Amino acid sequence: MNFYDIIFYIFAAITLLSALFVVTTRNIVHSAFYLLFTFFGVAGIYVLLGADFIAISQILIYVGGILILLLFGVMLTNKITNVEIRTGTVHMLPAAIASGIFMGAVVAVMVWTEWKSEPSVIPLTTTKDIGHLLLTDYVLIFELLGILLLVALIGAASIARRDKE
Amino acid sequence: MYQFLYNLIGNELIAGLLVAVVPLTIILVFALFGIWLERKVSAHMQDRLGPMRTGWHGWLQTVADLMKMLQKEDIVATGADKTLYNIAPILVFTGSFAAYAVIPFSSKLLGSEVEIGLFYVLAISSLVVAGILMAGWSANNKYSLLGAMRAAAQIISYEIPTALIVLSMVMLTGTLSLDKISQMQTSSFWNWNIFGGAIFGLSKFLLIPFMFVGAMIIFISTLAEVNRVPFDIPEAESELVAGYFTEYCGMKWGMFMLAEYGNMFAVSAIVSILFFGGYQSPIGYLGNSIGAQWLVPFEQGFWFIAKGLTLVFVQMWLRWTLPRLRVDQLMTVCWKYLIPYAFINLIIIGIISIL
Amino acid sequence: MKQYFKNTWDGLFTVFIGMKVTFKHLFTPAVTIQYPDIKVKLPDRVRNRLYVNMDDCIGCDQCSRACPVSCIEIETVKSIPGEDLGFTSNGKKKALWVTKFDIDIAKCCYCQLCVFPCPTECIYMTDVYEFAEYERSNFIYKFATLTNEEAAQKKINYEKLQAEKAAAAAKPKPETPAQTENKSE
Repeated sequence: MNFYDIIFYIFAAITLLSALFVVTTRNIVHSAFYLLFTFFGVAGIYVLLGADFIAISQILIYVGGILILLLFGVMLTNKITNVEIRTGTVHMLPAAIASGIFMGAVVAVMVWTEWKSEPSVIPLTTTKDIGHLLLTDYVLIFELLGILLLVALIGAASIARRDKE
Repeated sequence: MYQFLYNLIGNELIAGLLVAVVPLTIILVFALFGIWLERKVSAHMQDRLGPMRTGWHGWLQTVADLMKMLQKEDIVATGADKTLYNIAPILVFTGSFAAYAVIPFSSKLLGSEVEIGLFYVLAISSLVVAGILMAGWSANNKYSLLGAMRAAAQIISYEIPTALIVLSMVMLTGTLSLDKISQMQTSSFWNWNIFGGAIFGLSKFLLIPFMFVGAMIIFISTLAEVNRVPFDIPEAESELVAGYFTEYCGMKWGMFMLAEYGNMFAVSAIVSILFFGGYQSPIGYLGNSIGAQWLVPFEQGFWFIAKGLTLVFVQMWLRWTLPRLRVDQLMTVCWKYLIPYAFINLIIIGIISIL
Repeated sequence: MKQYFKNTWDGLFTVFIGMKVTFKHLFTPAVTIQYPDIKVKLPDRVRNRLYVNMDDCIGCDQCSRACPVSCIEIETVKSIPGEDLGFTSNGKKKALWVTKFDIDIAKCCYCQLCVFPCPTECIYMTDVYEFAEYERSNFIYKFATLTNEEAAQKKINYEKLQAEKAAAAAKPKPETPAQTENKSE
């Protein structure tokens, strides 16, 4: 077992354990904070995969943006501990069958896919390539996303300002 | 540094840890020195003398305070959420310490030579926000919670002008690596980015005013990101006791203090790398002129620390000059002044750099 | 729009003005002094710790009565004939042994009211102001010059004298009653 394998398992354990805590804990603020470690573990796995840009983006967007928003939302809620998260459990049997089939499909895909596992040269940095791809092959999607975000921004601003008029 | 230690020891883990110890030492020593400096600067600006009785001009005062802090009882409030309460200071310190991983102290002493250092620094500072929110919420104290909320809102808001100026600098230099940005500004202070970068020509002179604006904006917004006066509403002592670390005592409080001073130096380092040449000497190296190449990295280290400390001094100077901003004024400064200027600056720098 | 740029300019410019002011003050000499090393000269009539010059004290108890917080406690014993207590510096003859002269300085409010009634000017305020203590009991200053044994001895002497007097008065019964009656009236 290589040194990087150990690091990988540490990150994987952090991710899985904290994700488990997120869904099991009764305190929703705790859930939100455990999510921090999940995101962080995933970022670490990205780094080990050689995807440094994605890893940093993960931290910047999920930890720095989404998690903080989530925390704001959670802290503004009325009841924090012992929240009864109950959704009615109807149609137990079909649900079990459906999720079983789905899981089987996922596992089957995982098992039967021919993964490219030959050791390839891990690029030292991915930023330049990502930039090139974004502005050549995927420029349409990139621009569309930009417009979407702009629309969301303007929408948020207009909602926030509506009362004044 | 890492490569050298790796060759010396031959173990990745130990070499990596040793490299990590260097910035930790720098943070600790800087925090000791910085707190002393802060006291002396504040005292002399108010025509006082400050600590005088522990060592020469009180230079051991912080060491004595540290000793006191280490011996203090570790009190956790009854209503506090113990797990989060204990994790929060570590998380905050981790956030500020992690930023040092990519800061080049000299051409030989840099932790990780990642290509995306600048982006990494921006991202990892968000860990501090999470830590602050955690500290504020877990203490179960209304002042802490208010302080944490203010801190989060403030840091997130001020990340935008910082990111915009960083973006304009990335456009100009074409790299995200802090080391490469430093290398570009070599040989003379005239080549620093604040004077338009190393490429001589018309664009250099056109860039100078916009670089000054950019340096000022990033200085202001990083000042706000580390919660220093005049942007210290998260820990405004006259209204919120001590903000998000009201309930902390002993060494946990010390961790917040370490993180604050670590952050101060980190943002000063980023500003000095982006605009003031990083570790590059403004006048050339003694080591080169007397033919002792081994001296150059040490000189670089000296210049880097000197530049960082100068900016830290300016931060302190501002702290003892300006009163605290109100919350709405704080947001006005960010959203109505800094961000538009940063955007215009970004566009103009973009246009000039493709000329 | 004009206002916007003016605001920006004002914001920056005023900050620089303020920074100039603080920078100047960075080099002005400090107005504070290093207290335990350097001490400020106190005014002439400063009121600090009380002191009693016991050589001059006649035990008149006037200071104790003047004290608004009752911090002075005095006990006296009359001297017996033949004992020479000497004179005070302004020529008064002392007639009382001061067996106890305690000042609880922790209670003292530094009003100086005890100083004025003193006929011999033996109680006064000094300029000593550093007298912190670790024990509260140390704040009770005992000025009486007599030791406890001496004080007890004086008391016994006086009581003996009284007893002798009483005895002397008791023996020649027929002469004295009229006198005692007069006294009681």
